[in-house]
Amino acid sequence: MKSPAPNQYLISFYSSQAFEDMGEFWSAWRRRKLPSYLFLALCFNTLFAPAVLAATGGELDRLQVWALTLLGIATVCLSAYLFVVMFQPERF
Amino acid sequence: MESSNQFSSTPPRAPGGPRESRRHTPKADMSGLYQRAVKEAFIKLDPRITVKNPVMFIVWVGTIVTALVTFNPNLFGNVPDTGLNQQIFNGLITFILFFTLVFANFAEAVAEGRGKAQADSLRATRSDTVARKMLPDGSVQEVSSTDLRRGDQVKVIAGDMIPSDGDVIQGIGSVDESAITGESAPVLKQPGTDIASSVTGGTRLLSDELVIRITSDPGKGFIDRMIALVEGAERSKTPNEIALTVLLVVLTQVFLIVIATMSPLANYVQSPTTIAILIALLVALIPTTIGGLLSAIGIAGMDRVAQFNVIATSGRAVEACGDINTLVLDKTGTITLGNRLASQFIPINGYSEQAVAQAALAASVFDETPEGRSIVRLAEEMGATVDFDRNAAEGVEFSARTRMSGTNLPDGGEARKGAVDAVKGFVRSRGGTLSADLDAAYERVSRLGGTPLAVCRNSEVYGIIYLKDIVKPGLRERFDQLRRMGVRTIMLTGDNRITASVIAEEAGVDDFIAEATPEDKIDVIRREQAQGKLVAMTGDGTNDAPALAQANVGVAMNSGTQAAKEAANMVDLDSDPTKLIDLVAIGKQLLITRGALTTFSIANDIAKYFAIIPTIFAAAGIGSLNVMGLKSPQSAIISALIYNALIILALIPLALKGVEFRPLTANQLLQRNILIYGVGGVIAPFIAIKLIDLILPIS
Repeated sequence: MKSPAPNQYLISFYSSQAFEDMGEFWSAWRRRKLPSYLFLALCFNTLFAPAVLAATGGELDRLQVWALTLLGIATVCLSAYLFVVMFQPERF
Repeated sequence: MESSNQFSSTPPRAPGGPRESRRHTPKADMSGLYQRAVKEAFIKLDPRITVKNPVMFIVWVGTIVTALVTFNPNLFGNVPDTGLNQQIFNGLITFILFFTLVFANFAEAVAEGRGKAQADSLRATRSDTVARKMLPDGSVQEVSSTDLRRGDQVKVIAGDMIPSDGDVIQGIGSVDESAITGESAPVLKQPGTDIASSVTGGTRLLSDELVIRITSDPGKGFIDRMIALVEGAERSKTPNEIALTVLLVVLTQVFLIVIATMSPLANYVQSPTTIAILIALLVALIPTTIGGLLSAIGIAGMDRVAQFNVIATSGRAVEACGDINTLVLDKTGTITLGNRLASQFIPINGYSEQAVAQAALAASVFDETPEGRSIVRLAEEMGATVDFDRNAAEGVEFSARTRMSGTNLPDGGEARKGAVDAVKGFVRSRGGTLSADLDAAYERVSRLGGTPLAVCRNSEVYGIIYLKDIVKPGLRERFDQLRRMGVRTIMLTGDNRITASVIAEEAGVDDFIAEATPEDKIDVIRREQAQGKLVAMTGDGTNDAPALAQANVGVAMNSGTQAAKEAANMVDLDSDPTKLIDLVAIGKQLLITRGALTTFSIANDIAKYFAIIPTIFAAAGIGSLNVMGLKSPQSAIISALIYNALIILALIPLALKGVEFRPLTANQLLQRNILIYGVGGVIAPFIAIKLIDLILPIS
């Protein structure tokens, strides 16, 4: 029986590792949500910061762009929280 | 529930004293309340707690953001140089927002602290006691009261504390209920009666022995429910609170969206604004006053109910009291005193009123019942005196067989009083004759709604004693108050129509139902509810349980049966059926307080618009709207925020005490409160913000 080529071995190793990591992340999310929220905030920040940088025409430095993007995300989250309160007030 | 005994040997205990002087639940120890509340106010800054209050959570997030720009004013963008130290300005805003949060938390902490103090004083009346549990083989085992379960039987002897809520199944004894009601007069407890068989854990048996069947598991008794209610820690929001929260959140959402989209508009009109100013504007506009005080108002309302010695199973029941349209009340014991009182002597057979009084006194001198004592009192007022040696005379007690009572006189004579037909039989048996006057007088008294008692001495009928149902003093005025508040009163009685109509007219109720059965009670309630009305009723008997459950607000008497208490959504520890009137006032006061402070909070916004927006957007040409003449945008913002924070502190006493309730019509109340809290809410911040602006050393 031929052993699998090294590249195929590495691909299968890393893909199974990725699935395991995703599974661990999911169970950690369900246990402790704050670190997960922070991680998600960082991810969204990374996604939207370039858009904010482009919108401000380069007048702001990187820190300001990141802070402004985070503020925007926080405002959207607050708005979503208020909508949840409106439709499920008994939860609060 | 109707009791038609003429001579009751065990009259039910009436609530002690006039309503105003009645002692309520044990005075709670309020020392250190404010110190603890200050500490709690800082503990409640935890975001996991603040997130439960949406409006204040927005303020919390705003405080964090302004704190960040205090450290780095250019964090969110380059701030134009206005000659003012941005860090100091941002720091001021952060400081004021922080204390806005603290003041709101302080309000809630004070309300909860008062409730906890009350709960602690109630807990002090409960202690783990040793109970004498009766085992199936008849032996007695000593166990802790916490080990008792529903259905267990315990023996309680004089001096023991009753270990848990229960029903008396054997024995008669006097119970001191002052630990929970403040009423020092003991209450007779005996089995088999609707009104005297129920006992509450934590009270003390003063005499004899009782065998009690436990009716609640540990921690689920009525005192435990009262403790949970006043503590407020696990309180869930009432429907009215939820509706108000949704309104406040909608307003907050609108302002959040407006502020979030304001920056590009501000840049367009050449009035760039910083993040700190935008957050300050947002906090000034959202309804922080009512947002911060809402929970304190609700907790204080529950405490007020508990202070009236009423256990409510939920805040929803207390709110429902405020919306009641119809009140269903029993006659005897509720609208009238439980015992009839002598009102008049009606002579017949040519005798004078004085002679009737003399005969009545002779027949009642050994009668210790309330009716008998009232006859003696009336006779003595008319100048009658005891004309024989009491020590040589012998009293004859009332019996169901004879339906008479009286005195065997020393000279061999017999003085009797009692039911007219019983006295007729007595007189005939002594060889006397009867006249038509007697029947005429009897009918006359019946038509007046009273109870006629014939009086005779030997074979001569002297006259009739008119026993009148006495309407409780002050009830007419209270029913008038209720009518002005829009509440309709219906009286239910087992008496005949004539009697019922007379009492209804005298008491001032709106309607009555005579010859009513227990089934009629539930029918009345259903009929009113079918018309969309909210109905309240009181009851204490097992036959009242269906009606209590059907009513929107059912108030059971603490002296009533377990079935009535379980069916009701409130229990009155004073066993006062007229307490329902107080509960309607408390419920309305709770709703009015919320409405008044919400109106005030929203009306405040008008002044804040005129304070902040013209100064910020002066370059857009609206500077002329700065009617208060505020010095600068910075002083306007700081002044408005300071007012925003201080008004929460200033309104805490009103939130805890409640807006004074006046028994006016709905329109009158609306006009009055709109004037005070609406117009006042518009005018007050104009004056206050201007004064703060004058005092502030910011230009």
